Amino acid sequence: MNKISTRQLYFFLACIAPIGKLIVMPARLARYAGNDLWIPAAIQYLVQSAVIFCVLLLSARGETLFELLKNTFGKIVAKILMVVFALFLLYASLLPLLEQKLFVQGVFYDTLPSLIAFSPFFLFSAYLCAKPLRAQGRAWDLLGPIAITALAGVFVFSGTNADFAAILPVGASGAKGILSGTAFTMSWFFDPVLLLLFLGKIEYKKGTAYKGALFYLLGGAAVIFFLIMFYGIFEGTAINQLFAFTKTSKYYTAITVLGRIDYVFIFALALALLFYCALPLQASVECCLQAFGRKKYLPTVLSVCFNALLLLLALLLDYHFGDATDAISQTVFWIFPIFTVVIPPLCLLLRRNRRESA
Amino acid sequence: MNITGKLEKDLSAIKKILPAEDILTFDFVSERGLAFALVFADPITDKELLGEQVVRPLLHYEGKASAEEVGKNITSPERRSEKELKKLSEEILAGNPVLFFEGMDEAIIVGTKKVFVRAVAEPSTDVAVKGPREGFIEDVKINTSLVRRRLKTPELRIEFLNVGRRSMTYVAVCWLEGTSVQETVEKIKEKLQKIDIDIVPDSSYLTHFLAERPYSLLKQVGTTEKPDIFCAKIAEGRVGILVDGSPIALTLPYLLVEDFQSSEDYFVPPYRATFTRILRLLSLVVAIYLPAFYIAGQLFKLQLFPVKLLLTIAGSIRDIPFSPSLEMLLVLFVLEVLNEASIRMPKYVGMALSVVGALVLGETAVSAGFVSTPAIIIIAFSGIGLYAVPNLIEVTSVIRLAMLLVAGSVGTYGIILLTAFLLLYLVTAENFGTPVLAPFSPLVGRDLRDSLVKYNLGSLETRPRTLKSKNKRRLGHE
Repeated sequence: MNKISTRQLYFFLACIAPIGKLIVMPARLARYAGNDLWIPAAIQYLVQSAVIFCVLLLSARGETLFELLKNTFGKIVAKILMVVFALFLLYASLLPLLEQKLFVQGVFYDTLPSLIAFSPFFLFSAYLCAKPLRAQGRAWDLLGPIAITALAGVFVFSGTNADFAAILPVGASGAKGILSGTAFTMSWFFDPVLLLLFLGKIEYKKGTAYKGALFYLLGGAAVIFFLIMFYGIFEGTAINQLFAFTKTSKYYTAITVLGRIDYVFIFALALALLFYCALPLQASVECCLQAFGRKKYLPTVLSVCFNALLLLLALLLDYHFGDATDAISQTVFWIFPIFTVVIPPLCLLLRRNRRESA
Repeated sequence: MNITGKLEKDLSAIKKILPAEDILTFDFVSERGLAFALVFADPITDKELLGEQVVRPLLHYEGKASAEEVGKNITSPERRSEKELKKLSEEILAGNPVLFFEGMDEAIIVGTKKVFVRAVAEPSTDVAVKGPREGFIEDVKINTSLVRRRLKTPELRIEFLNVGRRSMTYVAVCWLEGTSVQETVEKIKEKLQKIDIDIVPDSSYLTHFLAERPYSLLKQVGTTEKPDIFCAKIAEGRVGILVDGSPIALTLPYLLVEDFQSSEDYFVPPYRATFTRILRLLSLVVAIYLPAFYIAGQLFKLQLFPVKLLLTIAGSIRDIPFSPSLEMLLVLFVLEVLNEASIRMPKYVGMALSVVGALVLGETAVSAGFVSTPAIIIIAFSGIGLYAVPNLIEVTSVIRLAMLLVAGSVGTYGIILLTAFLLLYLVTAENFGTPVLAPFSPLVGRDLRDSLVKYNLGSLETRPRTLKSKNKRRLGHE
């Protein structure tokens, strides 16, 4: 029970990981690819699931990322590389955090509150980051079924108002639209790097790699279905619809009678989202812990420092969400494919511990 | 220090250790001239039995001055010899008289304790319409007999320990050999032996020392007053603890789901048991969250209410002088005061208290415009809802208050964050190596059959996997 079971992993890949892609990404995709918004998402999911297959193959070795790097490059280089990974994860965590901040301010309050309303998130995140990654696995056991139910609820409430034919004709936005949609939404797809940090902590069984990839594709299918539904509801105005999953269900007929009962599902998804948003931060703490050892107070110190840094960035970028998102997703987006598409498969070339393999 | 065999010297030594006036000495000489002395604690010794089983046979004793020979003439089934004065004094204080006699460096302890106990009755905190009605009482021996009667197996082990420097309270550790995990048994015994405390008035004192996180808000030790539940838990692989002077038995490891189950669930059809368990969970969730969401909705997100309900609420809160959170806290405070007072007050005053609480405070507070009707309805429902799971009331009432505070300050997002905190805390909490939230997290599929849902008895062929019992099957053979 000290490792992350395959079931917990599948819950994450199929149910938790897709939620982070349902807030701002649909509107961004609609901006670049119009009615073809589902195609860039499908491309991303196909590529990412192949990478996840590679990472999970690597997890069969039972060694952590740091151990693999140490076996190949030696201790010092491995430490440097782990710090680089930690920095990348800190950078990757910025976009989901800013998104979540906007989501909280837009969905949970009638009037725009100050940042103070969002800042308690960092208390939670600091608490979570100080825990081992196993804590996430156990949380997924509960959040997986909650997220499935909530997503199903949102789909049922939204589906009745969608014009699914709105995505036709396929390819109307042209290759340029699809390619720019694919390129500029790369910053939402960093799940394989997160999984790299789970190496050595997964209870690997035969078939875990392809099953994991399939579950990720299943989550991707749900996202693609949502994107189609989203465009089917909003069509031309889709580019302005931030916090997509909170908006698609509000036109359900029962809501006029019962009130916003869809909030039950939205709150459930928001709960799962908290864990997902804190995951890159937790993974970056884990990077440092693998490199420098899990000393007594180090997890707490790192966790507090990283969260304080992110809080500071959130304060600085408080009124510049659009600029920050554009910078991350359009200007320096190329960092993401390096870490999420190129590096993870290359990790298959890392050496095993010779003594153990012998 | 050991006894010497010189009667006068031994008696003065024991009197030095036990100088209290209620420790009496009764001297007598047998027909053959052998001098005996019985030392006993007057209030807790059955003197009639002592005379019948010890003095009368020994008056005619004609044998040698040996503990073995003398012992054979004592007709009490409970007897043993001991040399150490300290242990003998402990036995006297426990109500077991000690027989000294001239020329022998051993004394005989006789089990003629006088026990004042109430009758075995149905516990008031765990009433069942169907199923056994027996409850534990304050005597550990009677309680162990209730357990032994239900588990007539040589595998049932009961080990007595003394806890408390001054109270020397008997604590019985009960487990099924081969079913309970031996490491857990040893760990529990070790923890009990390490307890350094003056007195143990109740089993709840031990929970603090048995808990793996002593300062945790959450409950960490299971409790029950019913022998049937106690035995069922032991049979699942848990370890039970009975404490002399307490009718509340403890069980370890504790799982949160235990408190959503009642003994009656096993005596009614499974669909009914499933329904009531889910109902308990739902009422607890509503009791905790409803006041918080009501406040958060009013303060930060009016869209949470349907339009018609919003209009009704707006009408009723129009003239209330307090903010929604202050109003709700005020009503909650009154509820907690009424609750606390009604538990402590004599029963005949309780009726008057209900009238004052319900009519005077409730009615007049609304008509005077201090609080609104929805606030009273919500808190009243919340108060009732928490009692659907009475064993968790200490924890859930604190969580409800915390939810109210975050809802009043941060709103709905605060409620979700606090929920995430709780969830994270729960999923990482372990109790003697067993995750508290099992079988939900980590998910143990087979154990779900007797969790919030309840399958029929035929489907529960294995013991809970979470408890890691070596003896896995409970239906059929291994």
